[in-house]
Amino acid sequence: MSKLKAVLALALGCLLTLSAQAIEQRDYHKEVIGKDCKACHDNGIKQFPSDQACLQCHDVDDLAEQSARSEEDKWQNPHNNLHYGKELPCVECHGEHVAKKPICSNCHTFKYDKHQE
Amino acid sequence: MSTNNLLGRRNFIKGIGAASIAIAAPAMAISEKTDGVEWDKEVEILIVGSGFAGLAAAIEATRQGAKDVHIFEKMSYYGGNSAINGGLFAAPQTPMQKKEGIKDSVDTMVQDQVNAGRGIADVALLDHIAKHAMEALQMTLDVGAEYHPYLQQLGGHSVARTYQTTVSCGAGITQPLLEECRKIGVHTHNRTKFEGFILGQNDEVIGVKMHDNYYFGEDQPGKTSNIRVKRGVIMATGGFAQNIDLRMSQDPTLTAEVGCTNAPGATGEGMYQMFRLGAVPVHLAHIQSGPWASPDEGGFGYVSNYSIYNFPHSIAINRLTGQRFMNEIADRKTRADAELNCRDAKGDALPPILITSYKDSKKHPNTKKVIKYNVGWKFDSIEDLAKHFEVPLTPLKQQIGEYNEYVKTQNDPQFGKNMTEAKGKFIEAPFTVVRLWPKVHYCQGGVQINTKAEVKDSLTGKSIKGLYAAGEVTGGIHGVSRLGSCSIPECMVMGMTAARSIMKA
Ligand SMILES: Cc1cc2nc3c(=O)[nH]c(=O)nc-3n(C[C@H](O)[C@H](O)[C@H](O)COP(=O)(O)OP(=O)(O)OC[C@H]3O[C@@H](n4cnc5c(N)ncnc54)[C@H](O)[C@@H]3O)c2cc1C
Repeated sequence: MSKLKAVLALALGCLLTLSAQAIEQRDYHKEVIGKDCKACHDNGIKQFPSDQACLQCHDVDDLAEQSARSEEDKWQNPHNNLHYGKELPCVECHGEHVAKKPICSNCHTFKYDKHQE
Repeated sequence: MSTNNLLGRRNFIKGIGAASIAIAAPAMAISEKTDGVEWDKEVEILIVGSGFAGLAAAIEATRQGAKDVHIFEKMSYYGGNSAINGGLFAAPQTPMQKKEGIKDSVDTMVQDQVNAGRGIADVALLDHIAKHAMEALQMTLDVGAEYHPYLQQLGGHSVARTYQTTVSCGAGITQPLLEECRKIGVHTHNRTKFEGFILGQNDEVIGVKMHDNYYFGEDQPGKTSNIRVKRGVIMATGGFAQNIDLRMSQDPTLTAEVGCTNAPGATGEGMYQMFRLGAVPVHLAHIQSGPWASPDEGGFGYVSNYSIYNFPHSIAINRLTGQRFMNEIADRKTRADAELNCRDAKGDALPPILITSYKDSKKHPNTKKVIKYNVGWKFDSIEDLAKHFEVPLTPLKQQIGEYNEYVKTQNDPQFGKNMTEAKGKFIEAPFTVVRLWPKVHYCQGGVQINTKAEVKDSLTGKSIKGLYAAGEVTGGIHGVSRLGSCSIPECMVMGMTAARSIMKA
């Protein structure tokens, strides 16, 4: 949680504003990050965030715990899955400004009800 | 034919390469000569691709004493096709064959593959691979891979010789191999794309161009660096089944509409670059479709391994006729071709069904999954089944009756199926059923290599110095149709072989 606070402070302390307002953003990110594009776009505004960017606030072990499935389906946990373990970069399944499908749907019909496109 | 002329043409190509580098942006990287190259970095052994071939090469090179081994992977995740593969691993004379009392030999395994290769497989390579397959299996056991406690007999194999990971997936091998790589100090780099070779004065490979910050299918800026290699480069970049242009240039029927089991990164540009150097293209048009795939899910999904396990004791039925239409354990090409002929009166695709007794299918963990995820169905009676799939009931019942006779007599006069594994496994209710439709699966073609994993130069007939290749990027080993579970041993053995060769060179 301390990481979260740090980012919050960063967000509030930074006066950077968006020139294009109509950018899609998740509600909870609006609250925590606001309009500080650089909070995520650590390689420059025009580039995708690095694979570490989300991990400033999100902890992959916590996420894996939250998305854990029953023992027989344990490898369908998107945050600790059969094929790539905990190493799959977040942006493979999550896009802040664009809709994305989970990478599993390339081959499987799994349902992830909480996944936001 | 004049060799001189050909060499002249080759120099010309090189000239164009150098010129376009000077004019064009670095994104258009082409293999070039060293003159004027500034090196950004030097490594001992550079491996491109992080599937079975690349990972096995890295571990073996380290075991042989290499100190500075680097794997470069263009995708954000490691493992390529290997990480989504079915985990089926064929080897002759294994401990499990001994336990089950199955008689097998290197020659028998090679002969089975030669048959499926329809006369154009590379016997020397198949022999080399079968001889070392047990070593490769051992490497996976050493790093902690786990296998089901039984063997399977896959299509085209004359005996049961196939191990399968307990997770029924190649990830049960790639994950421990990757972990081992990191433990023993192999450097792994993702999002880094190989773009071309850098040649020395005698046309030997002395370095590569790598593009970092690579986002597959996206336009992102990145830096191209020149990496010098001390010992050499091992190309383990896999097949090209996801490259629709290239696969259609070889086989125009493999359009974008045809499903594909491969990982998105199987696009073949590493192979192209070797061709540019002069590597020999072999059997590129032999692109295999998987006859066990399902139209009800993407890629390999759950059904593929379900059907692979169940084919020996199941019947495949044409829904128009209610009858069998193939030997369920013929080689892949025979079965895929037969399935594609299953069509309705208008000629539209009518995916056939695979019928299995639940008492037999339930022994494989995927049976639960296919039912749970709605890509396979369970029926208590033949009437329900026939109604659900609109199959004519009377011929279907008669077919099942006849087939059950074959199970009893251990002889299939209808399609010549080897009934050994079907012994005592009558088709009886309750049933489980999946639908079948082939998907583009495997590239038999690629660059030609020898049993040292060296890449042959088409112009000189000699091996290209400093260059090795292993795995699906290589071609000609299997001929027309690769047998199931023979790629893992091939990729791993040839990766290990490349490592041994590079350390000896
Ligand atoms: C779904 C599926 C199931 C299968 N099941 C089985 C099975 O059960 N048993 C069996 O024997 N065979 C099976 N096969 C076949 C087998 O898995 C493949 O042939 C094998 O994985 C190929 O391994 P590889 O190391 O050659 O290439 P891959 O594992 O495909 O790895 C190649 C890697 O190179 C990377 N790469 C490509 N180009 C570049 C570049 N320019 N720069 C950097 N990196 C690059 C790719 O992204 C990829 O990660 C299956 C295949 C599939 C697709």
